[in-house]
Amino acid sequence: MPVKEFKLPDVGEGVAEGELVTWLVAPGDRVEEDQPVAEVETDKALVEVPSSYDGTVEELFVEEGDIVPVGDVIISFRVGEDGEGGEATAEADADSAEADADATESAADADTESASEPGTEPEPETPSGRTFAPPSARRLARELGVDIAAVDGSGPGDRISEADVRAHAEGGDGGSDTADSGSDEAPAPTPTDVGSGGRKSAVKKRGDDGATGSAATTAPAPDAPEPAGRETTLATPATRKVARELGVEVDDVPTDETRDGEAFVTGEAVRAYAEALESGESPEPEATEATEAPEAPEAPEAPEAAVVDADASAPEPGSVDASSSAGSTDETVPYRGVRRTIGKQMERSKFTAPHVTHHDTAEVDALVEAREELKPRAEEEGVKLTYMPFVMKAIVAGLKEYPSLNSELREDDEEIVLKGDYNLGVAVATDAGLMVPVVESVDEKGLFELAAEVRDLASRARERKLKPAEMKGGTFSITNFGAIGGEYATPIINYPETAILGLGAIEERPVARDGEVVAAPTLPLSLSIDHRVIDGAVAAEFANTVIEHLEHPLLLLSH
Amino acid sequence: MVVGDIATGTEVLVIGAGPGGYVAAIRAAQEGLDTTLVEKDAYGGACLNRGCIPSKALITGSGLAHEAGNAESMGIHADPAVDMGKMVEWKDGVVDRLTGGVEKLCKANGVNLIEGTASFVDEHTARVAHGGEGQGSESIEFEHAVVATGSRPIQIPGFDFAEDHVWSSAEALDADTVPDRLGIVGGGYIGMELATTYAKLGADVTVVEMLDDILDPYEDDVKRIVRTRAEELGVEFHFGEGASEWSEAADGGYLLHTETEEGEESTYGVDKVLVAVGRRPVTDGLDLGEAGIETDDRGFIETDDRTRTAVDHIHAVGDVSGEPMLAHAASKEGIVAAEVIAGEPAAMDQQAIPAAVFTDPEIGTVGLTEAEAEAEGFDPVVGEMPFNASGRAMTTGHTEGFVRIVADDETGFVLGAQIVGPEASELIAEVALAIEMGATLEDVAATVHTHPTLAEAVMEAAENARGQAIHTLNR
Repeated sequence: MPVKEFKLPDVGEGVAEGELVTWLVAPGDRVEEDQPVAEVETDKALVEVPSSYDGTVEELFVEEGDIVPVGDVIISFRVGEDGEGGEATAEADADSAEADADATESAADADTESASEPGTEPEPETPSGRTFAPPSARRLARELGVDIAAVDGSGPGDRISEADVRAHAEGGDGGSDTADSGSDEAPAPTPTDVGSGGRKSAVKKRGDDGATGSAATTAPAPDAPEPAGRETTLATPATRKVARELGVEVDDVPTDETRDGEAFVTGEAVRAYAEALESGESPEPEATEATEAPEAPEAPEAPEAAVVDADASAPEPGSVDASSSAGSTDETVPYRGVRRTIGKQMERSKFTAPHVTHHDTAEVDALVEAREELKPRAEEEGVKLTYMPFVMKAIVAGLKEYPSLNSELREDDEEIVLKGDYNLGVAVATDAGLMVPVVESVDEKGLFELAAEVRDLASRARERKLKPAEMKGGTFSITNFGAIGGEYATPIINYPETAILGLGAIEERPVARDGEVVAAPTLPLSLSIDHRVIDGAVAAEFANTVIEHLEHPLLLLSH
Repeated sequence: MVVGDIATGTEVLVIGAGPGGYVAAIRAAQEGLDTTLVEKDAYGGACLNRGCIPSKALITGSGLAHEAGNAESMGIHADPAVDMGKMVEWKDGVVDRLTGGVEKLCKANGVNLIEGTASFVDEHTARVAHGGEGQGSESIEFEHAVVATGSRPIQIPGFDFAEDHVWSSAEALDADTVPDRLGIVGGGYIGMELATTYAKLGADVTVVEMLDDILDPYEDDVKRIVRTRAEELGVEFHFGEGASEWSEAADGGYLLHTETEEGEESTYGVDKVLVAVGRRPVTDGLDLGEAGIETDDRGFIETDDRTRTAVDHIHAVGDVSGEPMLAHAASKEGIVAAEVIAGEPAAMDQQAIPAAVFTDPEIGTVGLTEAEAEAEGFDPVVGEMPFNASGRAMTTGHTEGFVRIVADDETGFVLGAQIVGPEASELIAEVALAIEMGATLEDVAATVHTHPTLAEAVMEAAENARGQAIHTLNR
C-alpha cells in the first residue's frame, strides 16, 4: 500500500513556520480526509491541520514542540486502495476489524519491517551514488546502522554532518523506519535527491526528521542562545560567510560538534543562532557587562503584555526546557511562536518610532453614572457593558478632530496616510501572550454592538481562535492594563499605527474640587505617540478631547 | 604432507606485501590482531619495486636533465650528460630505503613476516612454500585472509619479456643504458610516462597505439596537451596500429611490425620494444578455488564494499580485486579490510579516488568530468583556470594546461576536477579533499590560497565556476 507523506501546509498568509503544539493522532490511528491531525501554532494563531488523505497514520516525523518550516513533511499515511486495507495496526482498531486481512499486504508489511529495521540490518550498504558527507560522518552512519542516504544534511546544500547522522539515528527507531522502505530500493541518493530538497521521497522525509533533531543537538537551546564565546571555532568558509551575513560571531554559536577537539560550527547552527538572536531577546556576548543595555527599560516595555498577560513570562509552560540550562536553577523558555512575534513587533515599534507618552486623568463621575444607567438595558440585550465602548467612542471623537493620531507613516513614500477608517485594536491577554484583535469601523457602531464585539474577540483571542485577518487593519490601539491594576504606563505603539492609549483602572481617587480634596472616580490615561508624526501639543489636545468626551458622555451622542 | 611442513596459526593472513597488503597487515596488527604477511618477492610490491616509485625517480631525473639542457631562455646554457647506470643506481637506493622501511614498519607493528609463496589449501588454511630450494613449506591456519597479490604487465603474443630487447615496464625502469630508438606498444599512462622519460633522456621514441589517441579515458583537451608536449619532445605517434611481431634488422637493431585493423602493415626501426598494454591480476598458484573463491573473466577477484570476497572471511585488496588498479586505492582497501576484520565499521565509501599521470605536463584527476556529472543526473557547472594565467606557472617555465573544476550548479558541491599542468598530481589532492568533505565551490573559492602558488589555480577555477574569477574571464 502506498505511503503518502503530508507536509505542513501554508496555514496562513506569510507564515513560514509553525510550532507543532499537539498531535491529535498517533501512528496506527485511522484518519479520514479533513480530520484534524495536529495543532500548529504559527506566528499568528493556533490552527488545526487537517489530513489530506483517508488512511492510517504511518509515522509522525516531528515531536510536539518542534518548530516546523512550512513544506516539511510532518506525518505519513498508509493509504489503502480501498481505504480499508488490512493494515496490521489498523486491525487493532475495533471499527476496522471487519476489514479483511489482505494476506499479500500484511506479508508486504512484514517484509518492509524486517528489511528496513536497522536492528536487523547491522551493515547498511555503502551508497553507490554521491553522498555529500565527510568520511567521518559516513563511518559514523555505518557504526550506527544508519543508511546515510536517508539522512538529511543540515549544512550548505544539505551536506551531512556527524550530528545529522546522530540525530537521524536517535530519531529513527525501528518503527519509524518502516516508512523508510522506499529507500531500501534506492539506497543511493540520486543527485536530485541530494541537492534539491524539492523531491520528497521517503528518504527525504526521513532526513527532514533528522534535520529537526540535529538543530536541537547542535544548538542545545536555539531559542535562547547563550553566546558560546569560544576563542577559536572551526567552520568552513561558506559557514563563516553565512555568519558574516547574519552578523553573528562563529565563536558565539553554540555547538556540540568538534573537529580534532576544536568546536566546529555548521551553517545550520549559525542560522539557528542568528534567528534566535534576531528575535530580539539577544543576549549579546557582552550583555552581562551591560554597560549600555539600552533596552533595559524595555522590560516594562510590555505594559500591554503586563496588562493583559498575567503569566507572560511562561507563555508555553509545556515547553519549558529545564535540562538545557547547565547546572543552574535557571529555566530556559522557548522564544518562539506568539512570544517571538510579540517581541519582534515591540522591538520594531520601539526602535522605529520615537515614543512620547502623555499622561492625564479623566474624572469620570458622569461616565460611571451613564454606564450604570445603560447596564441593565444592555443586559436585556444579552450584552455586558464595560467602559471600553465609551472609551472607544471617545477616542473616535478625538481621532476625528486630530486625524494625525489615526495615521500611518510611510517613510519610503515620504507620506503620512491619514486613515479614513476608525479601526481600533484592543489588546487582550492570552496564555500565549499579547494579542490585539481589531474592532472595525468603531465610528459606525453603537455602544452595545461594540461591547459585544470586543467581548467576542477577546474570548476568542484567549482561546487562540482568532483568524489572522482579525488582528489586522487597526488604525489605533487601546491597552487596558487597568483591568489588572495600575494607573499609568508607557505603552508601545502597535506599529505602524502612530498612537496607543493606555487605560488605568477606574477607581475613586483624591481629586481637588472647588478647593477641596474629594474622592471621585478617575480614569488615568497614558497616550503614547509616534513623535515623528505627532507633536506633543497635538497629543495633549487629543487627550483633552478624549477626556472631555469621557467626562461628558452625552457628547458621545454628537458623534 | 610435504616434508618439513609445519603448521602454525594466525588470525589474519595477508598474502602479498605491496601497498595493499603491507598496509592491511600493519593496520590489522595495530588493531591487535595476530597478523602474518607473506611475500614471495620484495616488500613494497610492484609499486615500490617496479612501478610508481622507480618510474617517478627516473621521470624526475630525466626531467631535470632535460630542463637543464633546455633553459636557454632563462639564461642557462648546459648540455647535461646522463649516466643512466648511475641514475638507476640512485633510483635503486630510493627503492631500497622505501622497501626497507616497509619491512621495518611491519616488524615494528608486530606483523609476522614470512618469505614465500602462498596458496590456499582450504577456507582456513594456506600453505606457504618458503623461498629458495629445499626451504620447505608450512601450513598456516588463518581466521581471516587478505589476498593482495597485485598485478603484472600483460604480455602480448610475439613479444616475450624473456627476450633482451623486449621490455616490460620493469625492465624499462632498470635499464643501464638509454636505447637509441625505443618502440613503445601502448599509449596508456605507463607507455606515456616512459615515452616522455626516454624522450627526455635522448631516445627516439615511437609509440604505437591501437586506439585513436593516447590516454584513453581522459578528456580530449587533456590528451591533446600531453600529446602535443610529447611530440615537441620528439615522440612519434602511430595510432590505430597494433603491434604484431618483431624481427631483426640489418643494422643490428630490430623492426617493430604493426598492423591496422584493415591489415595495413608498417615497420619501425627500434633497439628496444617496451610493451605497456596494461596489467593483469596475479592469482596463478594461489589455488583460490580451494578456498571457494572464483575470479571473473578478467581474472579479478570480486569483492564487496567491505573488500570481502564471496567467502566472507577472505578479503581481496588492490589490483587483484579489480579497477582502479592504483596503489592508493589498494592501500585504502587494505585499511578497510583490516578494520572490517577487526569488526570496525569501515567500508570503501570514498566519493572519488584521485589518479595521476606523471607525463609532461602531469595529469591529475578526481571525481567526475562534466560529461560524467551530466550522465549522473547533475546539472554541472564548470570553472577553469589556465596555467598561462598563473604567475607561479610562468615562473616555472611551464604554462601548459589548466585546472578544471566540476560542481553541481544547484548546491555548489564539488564533483570533480581535471588538472593538466605542472604539479597536477599534487594539486589534485585539494580537490579530492573537497569532494570527500562535501565542500562547495564557495568553500574552495573562499579558502585563502598561498600566493604565488600553482594551487591558486584551483581556487581561481572554483571562482571561475561561480562567475567570480579575478584573473580569468568568467564564462
